[in-house]
Amino acid sequence: MQDRAVTRVVIGILALQGAFAEHQDMLQKVSGREKIDVVQVRTPEDLARCDALIIPGGESTTIALLARLSGLTEPLKEFVRTKVIWGTCAGAILLSQSVTNAKKGGQELLGGVSVRIARNGWGSQVESFEAPLQVHGLRDSNVPFTGVFIRAPVILSLQATPSEPAIQVISRVPANLVPQCIVEDGPDQAVVALRQGRHLLTTFHPELTDDNRFHEYFVRECVVPSISS
Amino acid sequence: MSASPQIPQGAGSALGSSVGAPTRSQTKDGGSSNLGTFGVKSGLAQMLKGGVIMDVINADQARIAEEAGACAVMALERVPADIRAQGGVARMSDPHMIKEIVEAVTIPVMAKVRIGHFVEAQILQSIGIDYIDESEVLTPADEEHHINKHSFKVPFVCGARNLGEALRRISEGAAFIRTKGEAGTGNVVEAVRHQRAVSSEIRRVSVMGEDELYAYAKDIQAPFHLLKETARLKRLPVVNFAAGGVATPADAALMMQLGSDGVFVGSGIFLSGDPAKRARAIVQAVTHYNNPKILAEISENIGAAMVGLSIDADLKGGHMADRGW
Repeated sequence: MQDRAVTRVVIGILALQGAFAEHQDMLQKVSGREKIDVVQVRTPEDLARCDALIIPGGESTTIALLARLSGLTEPLKEFVRTKVIWGTCAGAILLSQSVTNAKKGGQELLGGVSVRIARNGWGSQVESFEAPLQVHGLRDSNVPFTGVFIRAPVILSLQATPSEPAIQVISRVPANLVPQCIVEDGPDQAVVALRQGRHLLTTFHPELTDDNRFHEYFVRECVVPSISS
Repeated sequence: MSASPQIPQGAGSALGSSVGAPTRSQTKDGGSSNLGTFGVKSGLAQMLKGGVIMDVINADQARIAEEAGACAVMALERVPADIRAQGGVARMSDPHMIKEIVEAVTIPVMAKVRIGHFVEAQILQSIGIDYIDESEVLTPADEEHHINKHSFKVPFVCGARNLGEALRRISEGAAFIRTKGEAGTGNVVEAVRHQRAVSSEIRRVSVMGEDELYAYAKDIQAPFHLLKETARLKRLPVVNFAAGGVATPADAALMMQLGSDGVFVGSGIFLSGDPAKRARAIVQAVTHYNNPKILAEISENIGAAMVGLSIDADLKGGHMADRGW
């Protein structure tokens, strides 16, 4: 590749159910040296075109079932092993290693990030909230980022083994916002954004704000390094 | 007093908080949060997009719906087709039944209240329901006023036949709009009429100048600032689902191609021959609505559809879409 050539990246957004259009709008507003093509992914053929993928918010049970019925479950698991993925809310649940408050009979996950997560950790919709967050590594990181938590999951514990990439916490909510009904021992339940290896995980919804710093961060810190390496 | 007009703000604009949604600040140890902002109310509707919300009357049906991929369920005592057939006053469901459904599933649970019946809404908010449908399918409690939905933490969805009605509901605090297709008929014609009406009015206003918007706002009895915002966005400022009369995967895909963000299915699932199969097929149809090949595959062998009714002056149970003001 020539030095001054514009990098082209294809970022897919899993478009089975949920807020995928919002992610697409945000990505199209990210300006950088890269030329970003955004693809809505509904079939294995769509996924094969992508360098990176965002799994949006929605209902994790619905998305998992539609992935299975669309023949996407195995291709997605392979994608998790080799490429970059960002999961928001339901997407974070699907990328986690294990889930509590799962639907009766359990639910299918893709795995890939070494966390244990609880669905609807804050309770029902009347407990949904917005809160200002400090996020490490964002542009203008002294300006808080508005975290929108909608029936959000709570990360119960980080459990990376020594052989796995280390987990890097990039944002926590203040301890007093951690739901009382959940509190186990340990500081992990305040974590709302983290990275592990190629993957990014947020339990809130950057795509519902007017602030594209998180999408810019994903492109700059996760996507571009992975395709140039 | 601020004279600035109230425009529903998306999430992340809590500082503006211009819609007057209730907020609660927690200041202990410096961590603060805002509960029940318009951003989280409309945000939950955004998470439901591309999904199917199914009417259920008990915990067993709710489990079938969840397993079939519903993104939410609507808890009610009788499906609209039965309300139509049996007549009488239709009210909010027994909170005990709703709580059983909440216990049975992990997806959001909605429930209906009568138009204008704000006490039914207070009851549902207190038991922690995720969304309230102020619905014409139940018998109206007030023939002049809708509920002031700004004063609730729980979000509301309301029906609308046209742009003016949609914007009136949003100005009252609705965070989610749906069509008012004739519930319980298995006949999609009215939902199509409403979706087309809203889309064509939005196309028209998107090219209007401000002076024309003032006149048009008066004409359709819509608040000017919401009409102006709709013209700028070229869509409703909140999520818009199809509801009423959807009975087949093809009906659901039709509504999606006409511009709906998702679909409610009422009587169409549990009054059909094979509810689990039909539910799953409609869920897939909403995802793959632009792919006729997949639509053909999922429409095969899904059992008998519910019996349909034609919508005319003699329609048993009357025209529910005319309720709402």
